[in-house]
Amino acid sequence: MIKRVLIANRGEIAVRIIRACREMGIETVAVYSEADKEALHTQLADEAVCIGPAAALESYLSMENIISATIISGADAIHPGFGFLSENARFAELCDKCNITFIGPSAEVMRRMGHKAQARNTMIEAGVPVIPGSTEAILDAKTGAKIAKEIGYPVIVKAALGGGGKGMRVAYSEEEFENSFQMAQKEAKLAFADDTMYIEHFVEHPRHIEFQILADTYGNIVHLGERDCSIQRNHQKMIEESPSVAISEKLRKEMGEAAVKAAKAANYTSAGTIEFLLEKNEQFYFMEMNTRIQVEHPVTEWVTGIDLIKEQIRIASGLPLSMTQEEISLTGHAIECRINAENPKKNFRPSPGTITDLYLPGGQGVRIDTAIYSGYTIPPHYDSMIAKLIVHADTREEAVAKMHSALGEVIIEGVETNIDYLYELMENRDYRAGEFDIEFIERLQEGN
Amino acid sequence: MNLKEMFKKTTYVSIKDSRNVREMQSKPEVPKGLLKKCNVCKAAIIAEDVKNGYYICPKCHSYFRMHAYRRIEMIADDGSFEEWEQGLSSDNPLKYKGYEEKLKTLREKTNLDEAIIIGKASIHGSEAVIGVCDGRFMMASMGKVVGEKIARAVERATDLQFPVILFACSGGARMQEGIVSLMQMAKTSAALKRHSKAGQFYISVLTDPTTGGVTASFAMLGDIILAEPNALIGFAGPRVIEQTIGQKLPKGFQRSEFLLEHGFIDEIVEREKMKEVLSDILKLHEAGERVPCKGKRTEEAEIKNEIASAWDRVQISRMKDRPVGSDYLNILFTDFIELHGDRYFKDDKAIIGGVARFHGRPVTVIVQAKGKDTKENIERNFGMPSPEGYRKALRLMKQAEKFGRPVICLVDTPGAFCGLEAEERGQGEAIARNLFELSDLNVPILSIVIGEGGSGGALAMAVADEVWMLENSIYSILSPEGFASILWKDSKRAEEAAGVMKLTSKDLKELGIIEKIIPEPSHLTVYNLKEVVRKIECSIDDFLDHYEKMDVEALKNHRYERFRNM
Repeated sequence: MIKRVLIANRGEIAVRIIRACREMGIETVAVYSEADKEALHTQLADEAVCIGPAAALESYLSMENIISATIISGADAIHPGFGFLSENARFAELCDKCNITFIGPSAEVMRRMGHKAQARNTMIEAGVPVIPGSTEAILDAKTGAKIAKEIGYPVIVKAALGGGGKGMRVAYSEEEFENSFQMAQKEAKLAFADDTMYIEHFVEHPRHIEFQILADTYGNIVHLGERDCSIQRNHQKMIEESPSVAISEKLRKEMGEAAVKAAKAANYTSAGTIEFLLEKNEQFYFMEMNTRIQVEHPVTEWVTGIDLIKEQIRIASGLPLSMTQEEISLTGHAIECRINAENPKKNFRPSPGTITDLYLPGGQGVRIDTAIYSGYTIPPHYDSMIAKLIVHADTREEAVAKMHSALGEVIIEGVETNIDYLYELMENRDYRAGEFDIEFIERLQEGN
Repeated sequence: MNLKEMFKKTTYVSIKDSRNVREMQSKPEVPKGLLKKCNVCKAAIIAEDVKNGYYICPKCHSYFRMHAYRRIEMIADDGSFEEWEQGLSSDNPLKYKGYEEKLKTLREKTNLDEAIIIGKASIHGSEAVIGVCDGRFMMASMGKVVGEKIARAVERATDLQFPVILFACSGGARMQEGIVSLMQMAKTSAALKRHSKAGQFYISVLTDPTTGGVTASFAMLGDIILAEPNALIGFAGPRVIEQTIGQKLPKGFQRSEFLLEHGFIDEIVEREKMKEVLSDILKLHEAGERVPCKGKRTEEAEIKNEIASAWDRVQISRMKDRPVGSDYLNILFTDFIELHGDRYFKDDKAIIGGVARFHGRPVTVIVQAKGKDTKENIERNFGMPSPEGYRKALRLMKQAEKFGRPVICLVDTPGAFCGLEAEERGQGEAIARNLFELSDLNVPILSIVIGEGGSGGALAMAVADEVWMLENSIYSILSPEGFASILWKDSKRAEEAAGVMKLTSKDLKELGIIEKIIPEPSHLTVYNLKEVVRKIECSIDDFLDHYEKMDVEALKNHRYERFRNM
């Protein structure tokens, strides 16, 4: 069994992991940058090691420094949390070489799932649905039209070297195709000096649905239901919930099985997440696999009653899963809001600084995962998320009401936050009705 | 707030799991060789990153010393290296006690026969003889075997008509071999002289450290000398100098950057770019055919701007937004590689010189460089070259002669720098030397006055087969201000002086001082420079076509007569 864990992270997730370890009787070692001397995780752990200057590249991302800190502090395992080195296959490999247990999947799995094309191919082989698309480079509209017809409209034409929305055009019908293709290709040529194009089925107004899975080293794999993370801005999730209103028991079973199949194909161990895009017609497509614990894991914890961090540690210690698929059911409804130190009025610009006053709500069905305290100074060097507010109730309606009420109680003075923005979202009619997709916030912003 | 003191301390009661728990096989530890420490920034680094990253510290970017074979892998095309003279070993000429044992131990430890590896390789397809010192073997000091291997490599290169590239990394002479080691300096230098006399090319690459007898022989004799950043390069070691003079040496003393500033090396090249740079240089020294220019030839009838007075033209030639030498460089030529330094004192930034291609044909380009703004003008001394600038120009022209490349000069200077330091280092001598040597250079020389052609400072780059002028440029014995001040004791009468000095392109053409006038738009800037360059381009093409066909003696006679008749 793991005896001493080094947490290679900071902020609320580091605190979350320290708490789980303490409950399990496992000693904890925090690592911190020079900017995080006063941080909660540094104070809370049994031991804390400074691993470098404020810049993440020289501290939380420095594999050499973290490995050295592990050896010096006598820890036998590393929990990477999320972000930073959590999906770095090389880091997992280094841990392995140094006989340090990496709490997560193997380097090989991470590498395979981290590589977009490889992950896609693995899923195709395993029979997990992926977005249909061209397999070869397309250089002219005529060939493109033929392939588009095979894929099925609407289609999106993308530049092979694309990014930032440049060289991208949607075509809804055969009539539109040639024009769209040529426009996209022209843009691609200008932006990337390359006119190689790809065509994909265009998933219209999808939801972001992800499935939590757990896999042990004995080949047991279970899924813990879904999370609906469609409320996001610039691909940054804002609100997550479980279960999703868009998912029937039948679809859950179908998608859950696909998720387990995906994890099996990847030869996965530890906690992981399979992300899908869900179309209105209940068609779903594999997007990617996150080979780590997720920010939004608490919503799953609440509806399933399973502590995911503890399960990760147990799996890494070589223990089998403590539950079977039959034993897992989703009870009630959980919602998580990410509270960020940012200014929604100024395009969500980060707002670091000192917290002068702090009041956090409580009561039944309210959970707060945070690393801030009164007098704490949020450093400007890292992510702006400072707390997660999670609520749980019997129904979605009650959960939304609880979230609304709880958000109204949160007081964080000294820095700008998105609390008011979230508070207003809870009043939004479409949100309350559960009618949203991944473009929800974008549309809301445009409306303003 | 110190929360740590306030939190309750956890006492750990291990929760025993009844099921089969995997015991940790062994304690975590870092296996030997996985991590290493950078000597400069002291940070722990992953050894593999260093190996895959050109042996550069991923944290502080300082350079690790490299094994010779790794260096060869980095430079040579895959599988192209053919090692020569393997197994040559020293015979202890001084019968120095313990030397043979030391060599034996080192041979076993390093798997090297001696401190240098030589052989043949191709670099992006260009064949070359290469030699690489390996510092692990007695700090790559040059004993008889190192000297012998270099001499043999160079001799074979001369026979094969291959260029030579030597990577120096050495503490200098090998003490254990005494006077015999000293003679290797002469031996290697002599072999390189023969190679050079045979018209063959040698690139020297200096890496950390290059000192003592190696610096004072083959390392400093390259036609082109490159260095890695921050390498220690010097004759006497810094510690010896400090002890001798009893002073602390300044930071950066004897480092590559110091040598570049002082004119001893052509360029500092980062390790990651070394193969590309070497390949580019080699290719510029291979034969390159000129692709004829198809455009329209200049008609002098195009010159319409007759209204401008001589004084107007003086003003135009000095205009702030008039294109400077570097602007032409980028449009007129391709693949330009700047070469620095006079090999005596300094690199003069008022002159930019190097090798480039003109329509595919390698040429030597020398440009008098004014700055584009005040800051650059200060750096380039307002285009007024110092003696070291003229000496750099001459060095590059001599190289052009050696490798049979035409020389193209762009003239734009108010005059040679007038100052104390310039006189101390012999401004007059430097200009005179250029006139003397240029008159007899074996390759065609073309000079184009693009702005100001100020006096001897301009002439030092204009003893050419033909001299052309841009329509609104000027060329004169000295500035109109100077002329007025000397003859009329009144520099304010400059405008009047300009009128009588015959300094415009039209006047000079009529006087037979120049061959050609390049028409230019009424307001020439970088934005319409291409128009002018297009006209120059075809004319240069014609020039090369004509003069490159000429017999060398006829060419030199033509140049002689050109000035003889003035």
